[in-house]
Amino acid sequence: MTTTIQETDTQIIAILSGELDTAVAQETEKALMPLLNSKGKDILIDCTELEYISSSGLRILLGILKQAKSVGSRVVLKNVNDVIHDVLNLTGFMSIFEFE
Amino acid sequence: MDSSRKSRISRIGIVIIAAILVETLSIIQYQRVREMLEEELEIRSHLILDAMAQEIEHLLELSETTLSENLWDVKRSMVHPDSTFFAMRRMIDDNPLVVGGCLAFAPDYYPSKGRLFEPYASKKGDGTIEIQQIAGPDHDYTQNTEFLWVMEHKTPSWTDPYLYGPDSLSFTTYSYPILDDEGRVEAVCGLDVDLSWLGDTLNTHQPYPSSFGLLVTQEGSLVAGPSPSRTPPSEVKQVLSILEGSLPESANPDIFMRVTSLTKEPCWQLVEVNKTDEVFGRMRRMRHQQMLFFLLVLAILAFMINRYARNEKKLRLASEEQARIGGELAVAREIQLEMLPKSFPADIYGSLESAREVGGDLYDFYRRDGKLFFCIGDVSGKGVPAAMLMSVIHSLFRVLSQKTESPSPILKSLNEELCRGNNSNMFVTFFVGCLDLYTGKLHFANAGHDKPFLLEESATLLPTQANLPLGVFPDTEFEEQACVLSPGSTLFLYTDGLTEARNKAHELFGRTRVQDVLTACLTDKEMTPEALIHAIGDAAHRFVGDAPQSDDLTMMAIRFAPGDVIMEQLTLVNKMDEVARLTTFVKSFCEKLALDRNLASSLRLALEETVVNVISYAYPQGETGSIFVYADSDRKEVRFTIVDAGVAFDPTTTLLADTTLDVQNRPIGGLGILLTRKLMDSVSYCRKSNKNVLSLTKTIL
Repeated sequence: MTTTIQETDTQIIAILSGELDTAVAQETEKALMPLLNSKGKDILIDCTELEYISSSGLRILLGILKQAKSVGSRVVLKNVNDVIHDVLNLTGFMSIFEFE
Repeated sequence: MDSSRKSRISRIGIVIIAAILVETLSIIQYQRVREMLEEELEIRSHLILDAMAQEIEHLLELSETTLSENLWDVKRSMVHPDSTFFAMRRMIDDNPLVVGGCLAFAPDYYPSKGRLFEPYASKKGDGTIEIQQIAGPDHDYTQNTEFLWVMEHKTPSWTDPYLYGPDSLSFTTYSYPILDDEGRVEAVCGLDVDLSWLGDTLNTHQPYPSSFGLLVTQEGSLVAGPSPSRTPPSEVKQVLSILEGSLPESANPDIFMRVTSLTKEPCWQLVEVNKTDEVFGRMRRMRHQQMLFFLLVLAILAFMINRYARNEKKLRLASEEQARIGGELAVAREIQLEMLPKSFPADIYGSLESAREVGGDLYDFYRRDGKLFFCIGDVSGKGVPAAMLMSVIHSLFRVLSQKTESPSPILKSLNEELCRGNNSNMFVTFFVGCLDLYTGKLHFANAGHDKPFLLEESATLLPTQANLPLGVFPDTEFEEQACVLSPGSTLFLYTDGLTEARNKAHELFGRTRVQDVLTACLTDKEMTPEALIHAIGDAAHRFVGDAPQSDDLTMMAIRFAPGDVIMEQLTLVNKMDEVARLTTFVKSFCEKLALDRNLASSLRLALEETVVNVISYAYPQGETGSIFVYADSDRKEVRFTIVDAGVAFDPTTTLLADTTLDVQNRPIGGLGILLTRKLMDSVSYCRKSNKNVLSLTKTIL
């Protein structure tokens, strides 16, 4: 599981790659800390390389979303694959995130 | 209610109309018979009258003959007036009916005898004849109209009858002119003829005791009638008055009379007087009796019709009721059969034949978590009560077996339920089994049911503890037994309807015959449970023949054919970094099954979420515990079993996280259990030997 963060003037981009399961959740959450301080910038989470996500991963995403909403930032998930799409669907996350 | 009253009124109406008809008929009949009777009386009167006329004519002729025969004697005696007495005596002596004879001479015929002379001879009561001269100042026969008439016409004449003498006897007189050579009337000879016997003759053979006959002249004076001892003279007088017209015909309604006239001289009339009551009374009484009888018959008939109508209604209601019950029983049978498993996997087959519409037998099976739960049972008794109890047991079995994998507690709970308020003293033999379809491990417990057969190399009885049936004592313990079935073996279960099937000679089919058929079936290794059941059923039916089925017949066969089974096992400790090992384990398992990426990912996620939950919460903080993960598959289904010795926790009963809330209200936790339950086909939990046993299954075909 690798996490890459890129920051531009208008948005913070997080590129997730690999499998976000419970075993790596803690370390991923740490790596994504910058997203919790978005300073009003929109957040784009690139899931193109993300193969798997468990509820621990969903919890991290929900935490980021709650923080962003409180400061008026948007959170966009990009290129979600079928497996993850299903999981987001089952948990009702489709209705709270934005997709691209 | 309203229609029954209507029909009763119509029945009463019919009876009344029938009564009126009968009465009318009876009146018509009475009138007809009365008319016939009256005609009969008239014919009779004619006959009597004719006879009378003949008699009278004969009598008159006789009298005339008497006179003509004695005329020469009288004429000869007239030479001397005194000898005429003797001539008269001889004349009346000649004819017994002639009671007197007179010879009234023309006035001054014998100067010596004065102007009037009339010798007279008459018979006395004792038969002697008295002679006397009766003419005198008080008897001037020249004033007699008859005498004058004969004198004038010079022809013989008969007088109208008259009553004379102390007994008022009836007489008639024949007057004959005796002429001299110049044709002058010398004397008129009169013969008094007694007619009183006519009355006796007339009244000797009356049809009824108080009937009487009268002979009357055309003018209505009596010729002859009944003697006063027979009929009171007042009655006779009354009849004469009616005839005369001085009394109306309705003066005496108790009598009725018929008047018949003689067609020739002396043209008398015969009056037949009958007492109405005497003639028609008997008939009227008969009619009344007949009426009474008819009415009685009618009443009985009405009663019978009423009863019949009521019975018929009862019968109709009963048959409707029966049809209704029949219909309901058919529905009950549908419901009961509907509750039985309808589709059979290749390795299981069951059949149930009820002796009646509904029965007290049961078999059931279902698959859960890679295990086959099955049961077979027989309620004591048959029919509706047994069926009702069976339905209760069926439902209880389904509910109870969801909570445990052990047959023994299922039986125990069933028994407790059945003993509660079992006032009808019904009991149930029951066998419960749980077969692990991967391992072939069979757990079973028996409550007084017939031992099943196990078909492996040979057909043998499964060594089964009998125990008491359900519903006998509430505290019965049911020993749980276990064995491992070898692949390809078959378990055959049945109710006593099979072994106790009877033929016409009352012989039992028996366990030995069952075993023989099963042994014969072993030769065909490919025989399906369905074929096996049919083979035994056919054998039993052939044995029973035409004898009626006495008991419900139920059979079930289960073949353990695990096929290509993959079984993996992993033991973890309750640390989060063990998740990596779990991931490796699941991935390798899914690869062996060659599952696609999405399905493998779903299975991995479900198992990960479950195990993470156990790692997080099963054991108290700081305490190390083991977690056992089993993964089994027959390439149709995947089953994960997670076992831990931690605190009891049933994740299947927790409320699922609400996935519709907005972002700020979304809870962070609870998503793991939600995902597991949504991703897998079934998630079931049981607490077994102080361990949490959670089974997750998913069909992969």
